Amino acid sequence: MHNPRRDTTLSGRPRSRRQFLLESGGAVAALSGAGGLLAGCGTGTGASTASSGSKLVGPGGVELSRPDHPVTLPRWENPIESGLAPESGGEFTVFNYTDYIYPKVLKDFGQKYGVTVKVLPFDNIASGITQLASGSIKPDVMNLTTDHLDQIVAAKLAKPLNLDYVPNLKKNVWPSLVSPFYDPESRYTVPYTVTATGIYWRTDQVSDDIAGMANPWDVFWQSQAYSGNVTVLDEVRESIAMALLRKGHTDINTEDPKLIDQAVSDLQQLYGICNVRTLDTQWQKIPENKAYLSQAWSGDPLASVFYDLQRPSDAKLLRFWWPGKGKGPTSNDTWFVCSTTSKPVISHLFLNYLLDNGVAYSNFVDFNGYQPPINEIQPAELVTKGLIPENLANTVLTANDIGPTSLQECALTNAGQALWQNGYSRFKSGA
Amino acid sequence: MYPRWLWPAFALPGVAWLLILFLLPFYAVVGVAFGSVDPILLTAVPAWNPLDWHLGWVIQVLSGLKPGGVYLDVFVRTVEYVLISLAGCVLIGYPVAYYIARHASRTKSLMLILLVLPFWISYLMRMLAWVNLLSPDGYVNRVLVSTHVISQPYGFLDGKSSTVIWALVYGYIPYFILPLYASLDRIDRSVIEAARDLGASPFRAFLHVTLPLSKIGLLGGAVLIVLPMFGDYYTPNIVSNAPTTSMIGNQIDLYFHGGPQPTIGAAITIILSAFLVVLMGYYMWTIHRASRELRSL
Repeated sequence: MHNPRRDTTLSGRPRSRRQFLLESGGAVAALSGAGGLLAGCGTGTGASTASSGSKLVGPGGVELSRPDHPVTLPRWENPIESGLAPESGGEFTVFNYTDYIYPKVLKDFGQKYGVTVKVLPFDNIASGITQLASGSIKPDVMNLTTDHLDQIVAAKLAKPLNLDYVPNLKKNVWPSLVSPFYDPESRYTVPYTVTATGIYWRTDQVSDDIAGMANPWDVFWQSQAYSGNVTVLDEVRESIAMALLRKGHTDINTEDPKLIDQAVSDLQQLYGICNVRTLDTQWQKIPENKAYLSQAWSGDPLASVFYDLQRPSDAKLLRFWWPGKGKGPTSNDTWFVCSTTSKPVISHLFLNYLLDNGVAYSNFVDFNGYQPPINEIQPAELVTKGLIPENLANTVLTANDIGPTSLQECALTNAGQALWQNGYSRFKSGA
Repeated sequence: MYPRWLWPAFALPGVAWLLILFLLPFYAVVGVAFGSVDPILLTAVPAWNPLDWHLGWVIQVLSGLKPGGVYLDVFVRTVEYVLISLAGCVLIGYPVAYYIARHASRTKSLMLILLVLPFWISYLMRMLAWVNLLSPDGYVNRVLVSTHVISQPYGFLDGKSSTVIWALVYGYIPYFILPLYASLDRIDRSVIEAARDLGASPFRAFLHVTLPLSKIGLLGGAVLIVLPMFGDYYTPNIVSNAPTTSMIGNQIDLYFHGGPQPTIGAAITIILSAFLVVLMGYYMWTIHRASRELRSL
């Protein structure tokens, strides 16, 4: 959709070439050098549509993938040659969320390849990408959510992968994520963790049989008894998606203003029902009894059990529910090799290292709590080993939970992102 | 004789400081509010030349402040929270400052150290400490339950406006008391004694002498806490997290924290600043008038 509000300057002068590039599809061609491969895009002002014909086009001008419509990403340069010797010595910089990878895993990697591993933390993916693009930092590898992949490809921030260096991808990872819909052929990324979004609660505080309800999402709209102790994820996409799913709308990437408006209005009802709170620390708040009923990621109960239970017996009080494949959101994080890397071979080997069965398992159960999509990790086995109680076995996903028919929050067009953000702003305003 | 430029030259470091650390960053925010967004990275592209400014984002935010607009409720709530917190600071802070300035002769130094003590600990740490104290199994609830004041733990952290307001008062009150104390301490005792000699009761002497003479300190302290309170977003985040207690600073944070519209965050910031300029203007006018009165004596 064209936005006339942004067309003229105060001076009425025509736009400069820079402005034109920034606010038109030309930016993609000019900045990425992949114009021929990339679809055209809109004005790029954030309030504009970016669709080209029937194709959905993201911020970078790259056509957007959906689980049922994978789009192969263009390579802006050739991957590194096979058979190169690993670089040695010096620092290896991992750009990541704070405390999102086991320090021992990093230390062991450093010892194995003779590098000093340094973690450079970011607040969130968006600010991390901004830092990376500014050139102020030069990390070797970075953690990424799939909805930002088109951005980093269009801005040439990621190096195309040579999977010869990453054999663990085919060997150990769930088949559905070896060549995932968001990055067919794994041209830029390998998966790191997977999670499903559902409901997390304490049975000593919440008496409802949530899993047995006809529509378990309704529990939030019937939670007067738990007022002040009900939370939803403090995430634009997750909270609105929950309201959409409750009403039976499974297109959680919709850019229909009416649907978003209705979902936000539904979320606003929660003010009066339970004085809902928004936060992302459910893994702490539920076991600490500071929240009773929460929208949460499947990794939250696992994180609670692995290292935040003051009374281990409380694990039996915790429950998680998610609607299942094709009905509830799933998502996964990834790693990519930054174009700024001075150690491209080591960077590839790092990605491979994280997909090693033993490393992935240790990172999961000894520190992270968020599950890697590794074939060897099975829910029953974790229960048998006593790592998680049987009542939380459903928090561990299986290879069948992700695939072409799964629901996944994907990248939106610029206009779509603005629509969702403005809706979330309305919810967060408490109006 | 000193050259004419000597004394004004002393202001140069301060002016440079102001230019580099306030005006330039503020102009960057203005540039973002009137600028555009990089279509790939979705980061702000500031418009440095005023002739290139777009008014769209600012107009969008202004329309959101109209009745029924998305920002009106949160803005009104912010004003309410700030005014109530300010009243709380005055009610609690004035007696404290007055006592230290007028009556704490031997304990004055100790009291001043106690006043400065909160500055040694980060604001966030102090707030986080209260989160533990106010939690259902925290010491506050334990004491209240064990003394039978309440039968069950009270949900201080369940998204209550009162908790946010008390947290604001707690967090900002040291910044209010210090300038007020300085102002009260400077009042010439003989002026108050003259009022008493002329038959004024202690209360009337306070009302007609002490209070007017401490007006500058009161306003200074008020400005010092009101300005940051208006932009505060971490206090409601820490002690509440409920949308119903969010402040306008939370909206700014939301738009700056990612997503395709940092320009809206900047637009809210400059509109808020324009609103605060009115308050600052009143303060400056009061200062100007007071100094003029002083010169005419």
